[in-house]
Amino acid sequence: MQPEAAPPALLSVRDLTVAYGGRTAVQAVNLDIAPGEIVGLTGDSGSGKSTLGLALLGLARPPGRILAGEVRLSGADLLTLSEPQRRSLRGREVGLIVQNPRASLSPLHMIGEQIGAVLKAHLPLDGAAADARAVDLLRNLGLNDPERRAKAYPHEISGGMAQRVLIAMALGAGPRLLVADEPTSGLDVTIQAQFLDELWKTARDVGSAVLLMTQDLGIIANYCDRVLVMQDGAIVADDVTKRFFAAPRDVYSRTLLSLERVAPPVAPGDAAIVLEARGLSKSFRLRDGRKVLQAVDHADFVIGRGETLGLVGESGSGKTTVGRCLLRLIEPDAGEVLFEGRDMGRATPAELRRLRKRIQIVFQDPLDALDPRWTIRDIINEALERPDAARVSELLGFVGLDPAVAKLKPRALSAGAQQRVSIARAIAAEPALIVLDEPTSALTPLARVEIVRLLRDLQARLGSSYLFISHDLSTVEHLSHNVAVMYLGQIVEIGTREQIFRSPRHPYAKALLAAHLAPDPSRRRVDRIEDAKLAGEIPSPIDLPRGCYLAGRCPEAVASCRTQLQPLRTLRDGRQIRCTPVAERDGAKTDPVAA
Amino acid sequence: MVRFITTRLATTIIQLAGLALVVFFAIRALPADPVARLVGLNASRDAYLSSQKSLGLDRPVLEQLGAYLGIIPGSSGLLQGDLGRSWVTGSPVAEEIARVLPITLELITVSFVIAFLISVPLGMLCGLRPGGVADRITFGYSLFAGSQPEFWWALLFIFVFFAQLGWAPPPLGRLNPMSSPPPFVTGFITMDSLLAGNMAAFKDGVHHLMLPVLTKVFVLSGPIVKMVRQNMVRALASDYVLYARGSGLWPARIAAIALKNALAPALTLLGVLYGYILGSAVLIETVFSLGGIGQYAVRSVLAFDYPAIQAVVLVIAAISLFVYLALDVAHALLDPRIVS
Amino acid sequence: MSEVVVPRLAGADRAVSRPRADWLFRFGCLIVMLSLVLMVIGPWIAPYDVGRPTDFILEPPPALRDVPRLLWLSITNAPREPVYWFGTDSAGLDIFSRVIAAPRADVAIALGANLVSLTLGSLLGLAAGVARPWIGALIMRTSDLVQAFPVFITGMILVTLAGRSIGTIILTLALLYTPIYVRLTRSEVLTQRQRGFVDAARALGRREAWIALTHVLPNAMAPALIQFSVTIGFAILMTAGLSFVGAGVRPPTPEWGLMIAAGADQIVQGEWWPSLFPGLAISITVFGYAAFGNGLERRHAA
Repeated sequence: MQPEAAPPALLSVRDLTVAYGGRTAVQAVNLDIAPGEIVGLTGDSGSGKSTLGLALLGLARPPGRILAGEVRLSGADLLTLSEPQRRSLRGREVGLIVQNPRASLSPLHMIGEQIGAVLKAHLPLDGAAADARAVDLLRNLGLNDPERRAKAYPHEISGGMAQRVLIAMALGAGPRLLVADEPTSGLDVTIQAQFLDELWKTARDVGSAVLLMTQDLGIIANYCDRVLVMQDGAIVADDVTKRFFAAPRDVYSRTLLSLERVAPPVAPGDAAIVLEARGLSKSFRLRDGRKVLQAVDHADFVIGRGETLGLVGESGSGKTTVGRCLLRLIEPDAGEVLFEGRDMGRATPAELRRLRKRIQIVFQDPLDALDPRWTIRDIINEALERPDAARVSELLGFVGLDPAVAKLKPRALSAGAQQRVSIARAIAAEPALIVLDEPTSALTPLARVEIVRLLRDLQARLGSSYLFISHDLSTVEHLSHNVAVMYLGQIVEIGTREQIFRSPRHPYAKALLAAHLAPDPSRRRVDRIEDAKLAGEIPSPIDLPRGCYLAGRCPEAVASCRTQLQPLRTLRDGRQIRCTPVAERDGAKTDPVAA
Repeated sequence: MVRFITTRLATTIIQLAGLALVVFFAIRALPADPVARLVGLNASRDAYLSSQKSLGLDRPVLEQLGAYLGIIPGSSGLLQGDLGRSWVTGSPVAEEIARVLPITLELITVSFVIAFLISVPLGMLCGLRPGGVADRITFGYSLFAGSQPEFWWALLFIFVFFAQLGWAPPPLGRLNPMSSPPPFVTGFITMDSLLAGNMAAFKDGVHHLMLPVLTKVFVLSGPIVKMVRQNMVRALASDYVLYARGSGLWPARIAAIALKNALAPALTLLGVLYGYILGSAVLIETVFSLGGIGQYAVRSVLAFDYPAIQAVVLVIAAISLFVYLALDVAHALLDPRIVS
Repeated sequence: MSEVVVPRLAGADRAVSRPRADWLFRFGCLIVMLSLVLMVIGPWIAPYDVGRPTDFILEPPPALRDVPRLLWLSITNAPREPVYWFGTDSAGLDIFSRVIAAPRADVAIALGANLVSLTLGSLLGLAAGVARPWIGALIMRTSDLVQAFPVFITGMILVTLAGRSIGTIILTLALLYTPIYVRLTRSEVLTQRQRGFVDAARALGRREAWIALTHVLPNAMAPALIQFSVTIGFAILMTAGLSFVGAGVRPPTPEWGLMIAAGADQIVQGEWWPSLFPGLAISITVFGYAAFGNGLERRHAA
């Protein structure tokens, strides 16, 4: 279980046990980290990763307590030191980065001040020097205008920026070990990749070791030297990254990685069109009444019977709004939705209620989608013409749940089981199309794998069509026949799964796919030459640039990109792309759709 | 920030205008006969009618409103800052209120400041160790004190400290009738006596304030402690405090971060509380015969003295709203998220 | 199912204070029940007529050491001299009888007023949350305006000018408390109607009104119901306070605030019992309602 050629450990943990009240969260854990090593720690939420991470600094979130064990940092046991001695080690010897970076910054203090406070606590700096150093740190992390950023409050900066502020605080005093707990949860794919690249580079530059805790095996495969797997408070696997991904030794890891070996779904051939969206647009007026947020901008797509269209994009790209516009849960401003040949937009309220039952939706947050005061039986009955206990049992069986759960309330179920109930309710209405709005994002990795399997089985059995909305490219690849990529409300590229995943053509689609961290250590991002890197952050959808929305970040942008709206054009291989320079190089036909 | 203050100020003024109108119409819509109350039930019909005429109650309601607001040419009303004359005493209501208001404000403000100074450290102490013995006792106390009839506690304190122990003066006003009151400057007896250099009156004033303030502090500290404790617990359990500890900040620095985050949201609630106790000061004033604006309100209400009633509601609402506004602005200064 | 059930981490505050909450909560339940029972049967079980003076004026309560003997005598129904457990007041009325009869006024007013304002407030709050924006704005601005009034003084004015009957007190308090419920319900309605199950019901072809009443309102009622208990306590305080300053129910109704006011002059002379017992009743009752509400809040949060 030891890493190969073990040098003297920087951190050495023995029999560490942490409990909340009567519940043990971390159970007699042993682990070693060598100087400069990047170690990944994975496991479901609730497996004790975060608790372990804090315990390495001698901390526990109240009412938790460290009950036993030792945490030796360069030989000295942190847990037997006095509190002042421990305090001086935190931040100076061990840096900490946590998930939810904005909540980890005091909302009432300026960012520079907060970084400065950490520097002053560990380095012999006075106020002015600490402030100057804080600005330097922000500049080194690639923030433009660091002086102004330092005077910002946490609510004024983006999540990605807040995460960099945490890096500055964690690495400011030059620790030899960095504990990073889900540092990219809540970040968009491209920002996540940028952030991890920076973290990886910074850690390698200063030679500090990193313990990187994440549920995302893609991150582990791309950035870590060694993998630890945690389950129910114990470490169940410890292996070198390449060997781990080639042949995981424990059951949990094998299940997680099993989906990677399943063949992607086969398209049902020339399917009849179930739904067609033409020029679908939606903008929201912001609260102050003057600014307008463009959520969806002339979206065109078709979904065939029994087919899945994957809709991918980062947060704010408008993919969720598209899903809701299809059912008119959000009223589109313009465009048509033809569902089984009928225009949803022209339907009377009564017709609309009937049509809606033929299109169902499954939401991201499974608990939120179920009325907490209703039993599972009542929830599914709501979707039926009349209450029918036998049908409820049958539907629960369909989604792999014990019919006995019918009498329970949603809260009594795990998130995965709740999502199955949502799916059961959706199929109860016998819809032709199901909009799946990030149905796996709130689930643990294991539950995610099972839901993806379930969705594939159901499609094979019931022949329903899916619009699968997700930011998670792996699940989209496992479920979709066709894929549309959205950026700031526009579909920038739409084609078959192979076209999009094997050879994306639009610069944004390329960058998105390049930022995708596949759980495959032989294709590490850090080893690749980055050709498709985009500059800067996603602009706000409120004040969009004229012309192509990507022009400011795009490596292939030409002068006309900044002034001309890009039409969606069909390339020779049948895919459509919203990028004139690429389309012209391809010799595309003249634009079939007005922009 | 400027925009925030102007918006809030405008809202407050609109609210006050609406308030003035609602009070005006509400008291006229209710089935009460102020004329009969003034002239007595045995008065002749002529006396009744002439009294009605002199009060202006014979005129149409809209004309009365015009006179009240001061938009009828030649009249003076709210717009001119004139609150009218009392129907009972005949003197200007504004003058009467100026005499009684400081009495209440002195009591309320002194109690408020003392309650705040006691409650904040207490609440913080409890917040530091939630679930500890001190926290349990204090929490029980805060729940209890926040739900008590203050006029009854005032009587109990009078029984113990005046009737039994003789430490407190009799509950008959702000000063011993024998001592010479200081000249009226601010209306706050403690401040006026200090200004006049009259130490005897100062001591006597403080002596008389002792029990009313004790009562007020007793009930008032309940909700304040509860609020500070809750905010403190929340701040200490927050991710930013945990992260601050994980970054190895000095304990004093962490305490300062938690304190600022715990106290900022408390400010708004303190504003609400101030308005509430100002409006209910009448109870304590009655027990101690202090003669503040609360008792003035009771007297006006029972006498159906409409100009005085309208003025009292307006003045108290205005003070409450402006204190609330001031504390809200203070909150916004501490918490930049409020303005954006 | 091989999924790991994610344990919900209770907040530090909640987890450690559960035993205390339960103790207080039980006390609150007891007091709430007792007050409701006395509201119904109090005047009937009172040992003496609440309106007819006895022959003893300002008779002090029996000495503590005599209490067990007297209790025994009264339980066994043995012949004995009349006992005034809480003494008699300056009019010669039995204080104990009046204290247990008073919930018919105090608790009934508080409960009645809050039932009216809870019903009105939650429906208006629902309307403000789901109806057209201008209706919502109208409801909210009106309730802002009502909330800007100083509660106690406005209560005094309305009750006095409208005639000081139990009915007017109920209506006045209902009016003053309605904005609290409007506000609480509306903000919860705004949260609840964003939730997935509401959109899911829409996708199943349900009507908006049906969704509002079956999904949104039931899930949005919790804060108002918790507030209900606490506000009943405040309404009792206010009812007693109004009559204490002479702007509430009229004497000789048995009512705690009136009784305290009647005994206020005696207390300065050292005769403590006419004011002590009714005040104690208010103190315990309102604390009970606060404790009950606090317990409900914790249970709801957990």
